[in-house]
This record gives sequence, structure tokens and C-alpha cells, in this order.
Amino acid sequence: MKSETAIDPKIMEEIIRFNKNVFNAPKLVSAPDEIILEVTPHDVVQEIDKTRLLHYRPLTDKQHKTPLLISYALINRYHILDLQPEKSWVRNLLQQGFDIYMLDWGAPTAMDKYLDFDDYINGYLDSAVEHIKNESSVEKISLQGYCTGATLATAYTTLHPESVKNYIATAPVIDGWRDTTVISNLSKNMDVDKMVKTIGNMPPEFMYYCFSVLKPFEQGIEKYVKFFKNIDNKQFVDNFLRVEKWLSDTPPIPGELFKQWIKDIYQENLLIQNKMYVNNNHIDLKKIDMPIFTQVAVGDHLVSPECSMPLHYAVGSEDKTLRMYPTGHVGMIASSLSQKKVLPELGKWLLERS
Amino acid sequence: MRAFATNSKKVATELIEINENLLEFNKYVTEYYKQLAETWNEAQKKVNLKAPEVPHDVEQIDAFKRIWIDIFDNDFTELFDSKKFGENYGKLVSKELDLTKHWNNITNVILQSANLPSKEEIDEVYKELHSLKKRITKIEIELKKKRDVNKNEK
Repeated sequence: MKSETAIDPKIMEEIIRFNKNVFNAPKLVSAPDEIILEVTPHDVVQEIDKTRLLHYRPLTDKQHKTPLLISYALINRYHILDLQPEKSWVRNLLQQGFDIYMLDWGAPTAMDKYLDFDDYINGYLDSAVEHIKNESSVEKISLQGYCTGATLATAYTTLHPESVKNYIATAPVIDGWRDTTVISNLSKNMDVDKMVKTIGNMPPEFMYYCFSVLKPFEQGIEKYVKFFKNIDNKQFVDNFLRVEKWLSDTPPIPGELFKQWIKDIYQENLLIQNKMYVNNNHIDLKKIDMPIFTQVAVGDHLVSPECSMPLHYAVGSEDKTLRMYPTGHVGMIASSLSQKKVLPELGKWLLERS
Repeated sequence: MRAFATNSKKVATELIEINENLLEFNKYVTEYYKQLAETWNEAQKKVNLKAPEVPHDVEQIDAFKRIWIDIFDNDFTELFDSKKFGENYGKLVSKELDLTKHWNNITNVILQSANLPSKEEIDEVYKELHSLKKRITKIEIELKKKRDVNKNEK
């Protein structure tokens, strides 16, 4: 008698192949230490405390006059903007003839727990801008902020508009109350004073928890199933490991900065209401009167579009552009779409104003 | 010997308070796992309704996996976005911090008994260092401005 629940032999083949791939994985993949994330050649032109200012070497004979400084997020490291040559944000802009600088915030230690918004905005970011102005002999630079780095860059631009010629806000965290992500929900219910007083800097483990609750099954299961299925595809494995290494490299966030961040942005939402102060200096978004380009990802599950878009409407600039892309938070800066659509549009916008 | 008795009493007091905190911590951790378990059950029911047949071939398994992941991701994201999860998680973390605080207090008793600075005392040093760095930066900027003015005057 033929069983109705007989298993298709192809399923068995698939299971055997998958298991074989799992056993072969250690022989085929590189150890994390063997993967070098810094792809495009650069020089470290300034170091203050743990921060470093990187200046990328040009890839074109002629460069546009106004240099561009990128203020990367405080979560994870700047490597995602230059993780692999064919998807590198930095390399693409260099190939378009722009002079690129990157601010690496470094990895704060216990003794950095009192660093706050003022240190990051009026200290590290301002020092980097002044250094670039001197080195390039220009009075103003172009500034790009990504994610939480865009919040710092936004605050900086309101306080030092005389130094910023063009401002690019990529997935900026601006309106905390409109943010519909899990991170916003956790932040709103957090006793951040107690947290910082008890543990000091915000440990990477807390950030990993926040990431783990974002699409937990797609990220926790499907991603690894795909990895083992493609274990023979060298390019796939290399890209996968680079992203994984980047994901696992999250430095702590200085306690005082984290406290101000959660309170001012997520709990009291002061920035978009023009009620935020940094070391007694008023952060008034209307003071952003230079050309501004806001980039938002429709499928962003880390910073929802509703949280980023209000910046476009709140600034005082007359020359302002808002672009929405059908991708996610990382997809906007490190994907085929970013190379084919996001960066060419940004380059064209910047070139017209540089 | 007097210090030993005082320190023992301090450690014992902290341990008693840790036990009291643990009761409350357990209450929130139980609620945390209850919410996860309930969401899991509801999501599994939805999967069963949408994919009632046992998959027989590779394509069917892939389709079933897709349905399973989509439903589970949606339901769990809804839970993590909800007020009840956020509030309970906030309380859970708060109780965990209370436990950490008691542990820090015990560590401080041990550090001080060995004539070493406590965590709070080290924090004071960090704070002072931070303040000094700020003052030095401010002075450096003012000096640079003065030098630039002098240069321009010459």
C-alpha cells in the first residue's frame, strides 16, 4: 500500500545538501580577523581622543572644489559606507570627483562616559570641519549625516551655518514621537537616568538586543539558511561575512550622550519642536538656510520615514529636496540601488551646488 | 575586626535586598516570556489556517517557510511595537538595573576594604578629567583666536 505522506526524494536531497554545506562551512569561510573592512585607501588626517578624521585618496584627476564630510551614525562603525568596492558609497562619490572626508567616532571606553552632545557637535564635529576648511582652503564645506550621525550634523548645521555650504541628511533621526519602530517603543519606556547611573556607557549588548527584535525571524533564521545554501558562492559568502562583521562591531555609546539622546529625541522630542539646547545653545532648525537634500528609505525599519521627513519641512532653506527610495535603512547606502539611483542623484545635486 | 563586621553587615543587607528585587524581577521576566509565548501560539494558529496541508515537495516547503516567517515577523513586530510590551520591558530592565546596583554596592564594599577606590570615586575622576579637557579646549581656542588677531594686526 502506498503511503499518502511519502516524502519527496528531492526534500531528502535538499536536507543532505544543506547539512553537507553546514559541515563544510568552516573550511570555506574566512575567520573574522581575516576580513579587512576598510576598502578604499585613505589617510588619517586628525585624531582627537578616540575619534579619527579620514581623508580618502582621490580616484579622479580633477576634483570638485567643495569637500564633503560624512558624519556617520553612533551605532556600528562607518565601514558600511565602504564595505565592498562595488557597493561603496565613498568610492562612488570619489569616482564622481568629490573630495571625501569621514569622521570615525571610534570606540568610547568607561572614561568617556561624560561625553555629551556638546562634545560631539561643538567638539569633534566642529574640529573636523575646521580642519577640512584649513586643509582645503575653503570657507564652507558640504556635510552629510547618516542616521544618528545626521541628528548630530543637523544640530551642528543650526549652530554653525556659516561653515556648511550644502547639507545632506540621510535617514536622519529627527521626530522621535513619529518614529514607529521598535527602537522608539523601547526608548520611550526606558529609565535612562537609572541606566546611565548604574552601568555608565550604553553597552553593545543592549544595541544587539534592539537589533535582534527587528524582523527576528527573517534576520535570525532565513538569513543564515541563505548563507549555508550559498556556501559555495565565494562572492555571496564574502559579502555576507563583511556585513556580519560590520554588524557585530558596535562600540558603546557614551552614557551622557545616550541619556540626552533618549530624553531629547525620543522621550521629549525637543529637536523637531525647536526646543532643544546643546550647552545652552538653542538648536533652531530654521537656521538651516543652505541647500538641503533629505534622503529617506520607505522600508526603513530602524528610522521610520515619518521620523526623518519632518526635517525637510522644518528647515529655513528655500533650496530643499526630499527623495524617497524603495529600500531599507542599509539598502539606501550599501546596495545596487544606492549605486544606480541614490548616489547618481546625490552626485548631480551636489555637483550643481559645489 | 570592626570593619569586617560592618562590611559583612553591608554585604548581608545588599543580599537581602537582592532577594527582594529578584521576586519583582521574576514577575516581569515571567510576563516577558508569557507575551512571547502567547504571540508564538497566535502566530502558529495563523500559519496553520493559511497553510493547512503538510508540504510534500521542495517548492511547497519554501512557500510554507515564507508564510511562516512573514506571519511570525509581523506578529512579533506588532508585539514589540505595543505599549504593553514596551512598559513591561521598561520595568524588567529597571529591575535588572536594581540588581546591578546592589552588585555594584557589594563590589564597592570589597574595593574599599582593600583600600581601593570605589566605582563612584573613579567616576568622579572621569568627570573631573572630562571637565578639565573641556576647559583646556576652550583655552586653546581662545589662544588661537588671539594669535590670529595678532597675526592679522602685524
